[in-house]
Amino acid sequence: MATDFGARSDAGRVRENNEDSFCLAPEINLFVLSDGMGGQASGEVASRLATETIVAYCREAQVNPSSALTGIRIAGVSDNSNRLASAIRLANRVVHQAAEHAPEQQGMGATVVAIWLADQRMSLAHVGDSRAYRLRAGQLEQLTQDHSFVADQVRRGSMTAQEAATSKLQNVLLRALGVDPDVQVEVDEHPLLEGDTILLCSDGLTRELSDAQIAGVLEDAEDSQEAADRLVDLANQAGGEDNITAVVVRHSAKPAGALARMGRWFKGSEIQS
Amino acid sequence: MSKLVLKFENSVLKELSVGAKEVSIGRSPDNGLVIDNPAVSHYHARVFNEEGRLMLEDFGSMNGTFVNGQRVKMVTLKPGDSVGIGKHTIVVTDSRDVRAPSLDHDQSKPAAPKINETVMLDTKERRDFLQKVAAVGESAQVAPARLKIPTLVVLEGRTDQREYTLNDKLTVIGKSAMATVKLRGWFAPKAAAQINRREDNSYYIGAADMTPTVNGNPVQHPTKLKSGDIIEVAGIQLEVVYRD
Repeated sequence: MATDFGARSDAGRVRENNEDSFCLAPEINLFVLSDGMGGQASGEVASRLATETIVAYCREAQVNPSSALTGIRIAGVSDNSNRLASAIRLANRVVHQAAEHAPEQQGMGATVVAIWLADQRMSLAHVGDSRAYRLRAGQLEQLTQDHSFVADQVRRGSMTAQEAATSKLQNVLLRALGVDPDVQVEVDEHPLLEGDTILLCSDGLTRELSDAQIAGVLEDAEDSQEAADRLVDLANQAGGEDNITAVVVRHSAKPAGALARMGRWFKGSEIQS
Repeated sequence: MSKLVLKFENSVLKELSVGAKEVSIGRSPDNGLVIDNPAVSHYHARVFNEEGRLMLEDFGSMNGTFVNGQRVKMVTLKPGDSVGIGKHTIVVTDSRDVRAPSLDHDQSKPAAPKINETVMLDTKERRDFLQKVAAVGESAQVAPARLKIPTLVVLEGRTDQREYTLNDKLTVIGKSAMATVKLRGWFAPKAAAQINRREDNSYYIGAADMTPTVNGNPVQHPTKLKSGDIIEVAGIQLEVVYRD
């Protein structure tokens, strides 16, 4: 599997601190983004703790497949998906404990969105309102459902998407890492197709840019790093009210497709004859 | 009721209804409408209702308040007016929203998040808050999710089984090794379509290498499946069956 990836994080034009973090482990095709919250510098601490814990757990699980899961095994998903969920539950515990032990970090928390690619399957897990999008054949699709008050209202039909987009309750999360000793992690799986481009981002990006703008950048950019850079620049131009982070991963299988394999086979048979 | 829509260039940042209570505007976090920008005074202006009219008063701010380009001290606002404060614009609109305002009214106690900060409702506050919301929209009740697993019954086409139970979070229809609904034939796509079970146990079908149809309609966006739906993709036809 070949993946082209890029990432960028920026404080934006209003905030002094950047409470977003990302942590990438391309050698195992794991990509993690987190948006921290809390007073003083604790949001930064929370998001960094979260991303680093998740990557550390998954690296360990890669080396040692029998390493323990945290929480209940989810039925009907791959081992990798279960490990990713475990990693996030562990990160929750780590952030929660750090908050309990340091008075100045009380109330800190974080969102997380993470993908782990293996073979043709993508494990996707999230908590909070950081999102994953996929551009496939020119169509942008939001893969995650926000764990936020307004998104919940839209799902229940008591708020329109338009109302949600402008509501001042947008910042209210229903789930976050670090708040309770346990957290419910939402896990999904998707097949990976040639050319699928995945975007992980914090709400500082999606509040500033429309789906059409995001799709345009993902489609036009030469590579994933350029896409991440341009998305952050655009969000800053649109106001940069919050911290902005984008992680872009483009999947491509090995260059040998069915036709190339057939070509090789014909060549091979010529040599043999 | 009137609504104030705070914009920066072309993006809408916030939206706020003006009820009986006045809305103060400024840089300090205790304002009703916070604009966190150095060009804005800590307590810059206020908008309030008086005898059915919507009024705007500038608190003698350093950089001024402008209505439709004119610097003002105190004016009556009407829908469509554009209030300039620093580089931000507040557009006055008529609110026809019947649901959201009841939330806005009661922004004082349990969950009045500061506009610019992400907050997490703790469990008790959240319960109180959701109770409050439930009281607002009784029609918005969601039936409790029961785990009912649907079956795909093959009506037509070449597949490796006659029917498939959707036990997994992800079901791929195609020739790929990871496919549950295995297509046969040389030219069958690796992943023709995908079906995802979401957290609420609903199932959504989406396009992969091909665009499937549900009851004859092409699936442009992930589409929720219900009992009796007919899926067609890559030369096969499947019926969604929920059994008791």
